[in-house]
Amino acid sequence: MRKRYLLGLGATMAAAAVLAVGISPSDAQQPTSGPAALTSADSANLKGPTQPIFFRHDIHAGELKLQCQYCHYSVGVSTEPGIPSMQTCMGCHALVQGRDSTDKAEIKKLKDAWAAGTPVEWVRIHSLARHVRFPHMSHIKALGPNACATCHGNVARMPQVYKVNNVNNMGFCINCHLERNVTRDCTACHY
Amino acid sequence: MTMRSDDPSVPEVEADAGVDRRQFLKVLGVSSAGAAALTGCSTDRVAKLVPYMVQSEQQVPGIATVYASTCAECSSGCGVRVTTREARAIKLEGNPEHPVNQGTLCSRGQAGLQALYNPDRIGAPLARNAAGGFDEITWEDATARLAAQLSTANGRLAAINGYGPSTFSALLEGVVGGLGGKVVNWEAFGREAESQANQRTFGRNDLPTYDFGAAHLIVSFGADFLETWATPLEQARGFAASHGYHDGTMAKHVYVGPRMSLTAANADEWFDVPAGTESWIALCLARAAAEHQGSALASELSAYTVAAAAEQTGIAAARIEALATAFATAAPSLAVAGGIAAQHRGAIDLCHAVNLANAAAGNLGKTVHFGTGSTPTAGYAGAQELFGAMGRGELAVVLVHEANPLYALPKSGGFADAFLKVGYKVSTANVMDETAAACDLILPNLHALERWDDRFPRAGVLGLMQPVMEPVKPGMHTGDVLLAAARAVGGPLGSFTAPNFETYLKQAWTIEASHRGASNGEQFWRTALQHGGIYESAPSAAPAVVNSAVGTLIAPTFDGDGEFTFLPYPSSMYHDGRGANKPWLLENPDPVTKITWQSWVELHPDTAQRVDVREGEFVELASPHGMIRAQVYVYPGIRPDTLGMPLGLGHTAYGRYAEGRGVNAVDLLGAADGQGFLPYVATKVSITKTHDYRQVAKTEGTTRQLGRGIIEAMPLAHAVAGMTPKESMTAVGHPPHEVNTERELEAIDGWYEAQKEKWALGDYAREAMPKWGMAVDLSRCTGCSACVTACYAENNIATVGEEQIFKGREMSWMRIERYWEGGEDGEPLEARFAPVMCQHCDNAPCEPVCPVYASYHTPDGLNGQVYNRCVGTRYCSNNCPFKVRYYNWLKYNEKAWPEPLNLQLNPEVTVRARGVMEKCTFCIQRIRGAQHQAKLEDRSLRDGDVVTACQQACPSHAIAFGNVHDPEAAVVRWKRDPRGYTMLEETNVMPAVTYLAKVRAVEPVGHATAATEGEH
Repeated sequence: MRKRYLLGLGATMAAAAVLAVGISPSDAQQPTSGPAALTSADSANLKGPTQPIFFRHDIHAGELKLQCQYCHYSVGVSTEPGIPSMQTCMGCHALVQGRDSTDKAEIKKLKDAWAAGTPVEWVRIHSLARHVRFPHMSHIKALGPNACATCHGNVARMPQVYKVNNVNNMGFCINCHLERNVTRDCTACHY
Repeated sequence: MTMRSDDPSVPEVEADAGVDRRQFLKVLGVSSAGAAALTGCSTDRVAKLVPYMVQSEQQVPGIATVYASTCAECSSGCGVRVTTREARAIKLEGNPEHPVNQGTLCSRGQAGLQALYNPDRIGAPLARNAAGGFDEITWEDATARLAAQLSTANGRLAAINGYGPSTFSALLEGVVGGLGGKVVNWEAFGREAESQANQRTFGRNDLPTYDFGAAHLIVSFGADFLETWATPLEQARGFAASHGYHDGTMAKHVYVGPRMSLTAANADEWFDVPAGTESWIALCLARAAAEHQGSALASELSAYTVAAAAEQTGIAAARIEALATAFATAAPSLAVAGGIAAQHRGAIDLCHAVNLANAAAGNLGKTVHFGTGSTPTAGYAGAQELFGAMGRGELAVVLVHEANPLYALPKSGGFADAFLKVGYKVSTANVMDETAAACDLILPNLHALERWDDRFPRAGVLGLMQPVMEPVKPGMHTGDVLLAAARAVGGPLGSFTAPNFETYLKQAWTIEASHRGASNGEQFWRTALQHGGIYESAPSAAPAVVNSAVGTLIAPTFDGDGEFTFLPYPSSMYHDGRGANKPWLLENPDPVTKITWQSWVELHPDTAQRVDVREGEFVELASPHGMIRAQVYVYPGIRPDTLGMPLGLGHTAYGRYAEGRGVNAVDLLGAADGQGFLPYVATKVSITKTHDYRQVAKTEGTTRQLGRGIIEAMPLAHAVAGMTPKESMTAVGHPPHEVNTERELEAIDGWYEAQKEKWALGDYAREAMPKWGMAVDLSRCTGCSACVTACYAENNIATVGEEQIFKGREMSWMRIERYWEGGEDGEPLEARFAPVMCQHCDNAPCEPVCPVYASYHTPDGLNGQVYNRCVGTRYCSNNCPFKVRYYNWLKYNEKAWPEPLNLQLNPEVTVRARGVMEKCTFCIQRIRGAQHQAKLEDRSLRDGDVVTACQQACPSHAIAFGNVHDPEAAVVRWKRDPRGYTMLEETNVMPAVTYLAKVRAVEPVGHATAATEGEH
């Protein structure tokens, strides 16, 4: 466990360095079809709930191509995918300041929260009924590390995350299990 | 919580976030309980994901983190492994590395979690105000007050410490001693009589350890070694190893005492002697052994003849003679004495006699190991002396730590009055117990799972404790309090410079490391922390007898002239009273009487008839020292001249679960010294009818098997001959009645095949599926009920309370069945125990009757129960021949776990709501967890990957579990044993649980009559 942590820490620093370089003004290579320029005021018009920080999955996972597992660190080993600690955010954003005023304002919220020692309370998008077990790691193991979109949609294109699939509905699970001819035993998930 | 999905169009609906543990944990890295908040004026509660500020390197959400620690629930000092999820302890299991319990844990130890999360824990220091109540004060204020009192005490101070040998106790000694005060080490069930007897016999007062596993004959004189006496887990393991049937042999166990305790119920023979006469039999054993060995002791003991013993005890001379001969020749045998139930005024004589018997039979160094046990604490004499000083107003300050003397000592001794004469009384209890309620200052200590601590329960064992989580209630380690007070007092306490107790503890361990020649103190500490302590075997000594004189045995004296001998005994759940505030222990039935949530008085059926009382009727018991009122339980396992009553209830404080529940048996006792110990069995009582009646909250149905062959037993000879239970019955002339008549077979023709076809429906990938099965060896099971508590803890089973148990609504997925055999018409009484959980029948009767397919068979052979499909028709329960399905009658999900008890809930298991049927799942969460893990590691499951909670806890390793398709699996080996049978075979339900018939060293009672009864 300690080893993994240390690896993770290393990765944090490495990624921070890469990002710092990648977004520096001297780098003229902007992606041609990059995420739309949006301000936090647009948040209300986007699908999905407004979050306390206008966190852009389309920038992080889309433009910057960060692996989902970079932040959702336990998805491959645990039933729970994990949400990034504030420290993980700050691992990059201690250096990454954002490229426009919207970015800067949102990153400031993060930094203020970090300085105040109060975690950001994200609005939850996906949650299952309490009598269902969904082992994330087994699904990642079976479908590969990029399988997240199967249930969560193409988050890399979402300026604001919304629910694409009704994961609360057992039909959604069963369809997939039927397609792949894997277990439909009730106690696979219900116990 | 709700079982059925909320409106799926509403994204984040939480029905009740306050209670909902699982959702709480699914919100990863939740940092506070306020995870759910209202948004705007919407009625929908929006769940929030609250991240950690800094991710702990020891926590991965969804994966348990396990810490090694030491149990603090009794003086055994067993090793525990604490399973934590998202920084909350959710389960206690034994530490396999610990020499005392080797991976198992008793009910009381497991219920330590309910002390940790007890809703009645005190959250702040309390100081008595002028009105007589308590005010909450700050910790700074509290330590300042303590320091002020200590510095002005002028040596007129003392402490009562029930914690036992440890670094903390040394600190307490140092602080109190440094100020000229005295620490009295006292615990309610001290073993003073044994210690003094050892001094008399061997010239050393330490307590030995016993190797029950090596003995061929075990004789217990009132020592309840399977439930409360000494180190029950270690002893139960040894007992199962020797007394459990193995390799064509088994040890014999004989119990001598007036009451059939759980230990006695596991004996092959019970000598129901009058209280106080046990010594006569012990001396016969000693004499016979000495004669056999040709030792001089034989002539010294020549007066103790079998005839004299028979006359004193009322036991037939032939039985005593046979036992004495067997004891002398068993090589090695083992005799033990010293339990509370034999703590009469002749207890030292008894222990001395047993010492002589062990010495004469050559058991020292073989089954009795001196030098490996514990050192005695000061005990009752010290406490008496201290309270005497209190009563004379000689003390200004007294500190009570881990002890509750005002509950555990007899009221007649005037201890409470003496205590009140102390100027300033301080308690470290974190629940308001009787003693704390009488104090002026309460400094609630952290729970054992929240603090740094250690304890040294026996030679060679240094048990370490570490905080596994943040404190549930803001508390302060008493060690930190003492150090802070010492710094404030200064002067004589100037040497206590450690900034906190953690440092103090580490310093002590560093010194220990250098004593042991460890080159790296830090490494020593880390190793200890990782393993829960340092475990070494101390050298065993076989001391010589220095004094074999017995003198004249006088019959023990009793206070009062009542008709009955009063026999208070330690309850295997409540122990010395500290278990009384834990719902698991209150609800888990007493293994012998099956009574929950109450005190009772045990009357022999003849006595009950003579006094004209029935079960449930209230009677008044009066002794010269007091009077109590309790319900009658008619019990064939007690002498007609004796009344038994469990200790541990009858609290006047101690929180919502304990207060006002039952009666305190100690109230009938006198406080007179029995030579250094409190004589528990020294009172005669009279009994008076009251004509009041109340139902007894017990979980048993009929007490007899009525020929159903539920718990089979066979004599040793038959087991050796490889007979099946049926063959054994046939051999004694009672062939089992025919099962599966032609008509029955016709009715079920093709049924099993159809069932099998149905299971395969779930096996979509047509993989080779495992089939889960269990085997229970009844020759090892002692009925101790540790498995039941483990099941409650693992599976989020609600405790329902006394009122609901009246209605038969207990929810124990796993229960211990206890049936009586014999006990009438001059036949000896025999108890049979069996754990009964869902049998996961192949032909499960519950499945076809479910209208909504909530009860069905999984492709891996489990009888599945899908809570979210269940609509609560209860047809399944009606149709279950084992009655192992439990219905949620009330909103237990909301009321069974008042905060913060809910923090204990296992996040891997759904908390069932009202209207849902539930039952044993074979710990499916552990099965699925192991399967997921195996998949992650690209391997198939191995035998032993899945260990059910009951199997894990079992002190006598009586349960095997695994895949019955795996020919190498332990469970398959067990199931192949000729002793194997399934319960209620004639119903053709084909259970997945195989029981291995109990084996008795004597002919089982009722063996010859059971079959005939069945034909009625």
